[in-house]
Amino acid sequence: MAGAAHPEAMAPPKKGPTRTAPPRMPGSWWGAPRIRTYLLFGATGLVYILAGTVVLRLVWALGKGPEAWNVALTSLSHPLYLIFHALTFVSLIFVGVRAFGTMMPKMQPRNGPFPPLPAAAVRGLIYSVWALLTLFLSLVLAGKIF
Amino acid sequence: MAIETRMLTVEITRFDPDRDEVPKTQEYQIPAQDDWKVLDAINYIKDEVDSSISYRWSCRMAVCGSCGMMLNGEPKLTCKTALSDYDSKLKIEPLANFPIVRDLVVDMDGFMEKFRKVKPWIVRAKERAEDMENLNEKGTFSQSPAQLASFKQFSMCINCLLCYAACPVVANEPEFIGPAAVALGHRYNLDTRDEGEAQRNAIFRGEGTVFSCSFANECSEVCPKNVDPAAALNQAKLAAVVDWAKGLILPRGGA
Repeated sequence: MAGAAHPEAMAPPKKGPTRTAPPRMPGSWWGAPRIRTYLLFGATGLVYILAGTVVLRLVWALGKGPEAWNVALTSLSHPLYLIFHALTFVSLIFVGVRAFGTMMPKMQPRNGPFPPLPAAAVRGLIYSVWALLTLFLSLVLAGKIF
Repeated sequence: MAIETRMLTVEITRFDPDRDEVPKTQEYQIPAQDDWKVLDAINYIKDEVDSSISYRWSCRMAVCGSCGMMLNGEPKLTCKTALSDYDSKLKIEPLANFPIVRDLVVDMDGFMEKFRKVKPWIVRAKERAEDMENLNEKGTFSQSPAQLASFKQFSMCINCLLCYAACPVVANEPEFIGPAAVALGHRYNLDTRDEGEAQRNAIFRGEGTVFSCSFANECSEVCPKNVDPAAALNQAKLAAVVDWAKGLILPRGGA
């Protein structure tokens, strides 16, 4: 096995007379492909924290006036920023697919008035809404509507 | 057709609470038959090589849930796992995330305590006159196939605890109720005969909350009975939130 689990993991409410060895994490924990995907899923949080600081910087520039705002906007086209934008985009797609594609079909209530939909139908609905929203926002940002 | 036999190295965790400070490992060379399950290999070692090994098993048909162990780092039922899946070396350890009592035997009392908390039985507020009208000729409550289907999957849990051994949250948050207990609690919440949903949802929102689950989905990946505890956990999250919101908005919590 790999590292130690929390020493109180699955500990009995009252200690028995027999001495026990502390719980261990499974040996495959870090190396298993499924766990790597899960860790990557969690690690995207760092990307979102960074994206949040970029948004804060833009809001701060907006408060400083048009000149600061234009400087901030121009800086976003720097190659490093472009790489960061691409990373954020990939992270969003990855989290979206994992959370909505896997978790949402499982989350459907079983005791409502309607039977749960097949997982493929839920994914189809979610991805359709996602595509429509992306199209709508793209059109807004391109100045085609509003 | 002759059955193939090959030499296999089996490494087993050994721990004697009276002698050992920490668990150690011991290797055995056995003539493994390709039609054996892993449990057959352990039984061979116990019967023919070293009778001092301690482990749990009973039914040999993936029903009792006793023989869960870590096989090359993956939680599996040893009676259901073919020995032919392992080429040259097999490492057998006690279930991860549990205190080790001796060799391959883990302490299940922590699970039993969590299990008891979620009230895995039918809770009735009180027997009422209309209940009697619902009784059919055999003296049981009628339940449609659709009503049964809503929870049947979750009632297939055999408490083998593989899901606890696979869960990274269980390993790090001792308070977490855990996959099997929530699956069983949720199973009764979905049962039309049950009236204990509010009590269980309060437990799901309380200490060891279902919201500790970060959806690693490992529990469902390793479940030998396809219970899908991750589905139960995430449905329980939604139900616990709806129940909490109803309590805020509706008079008497919508009861």
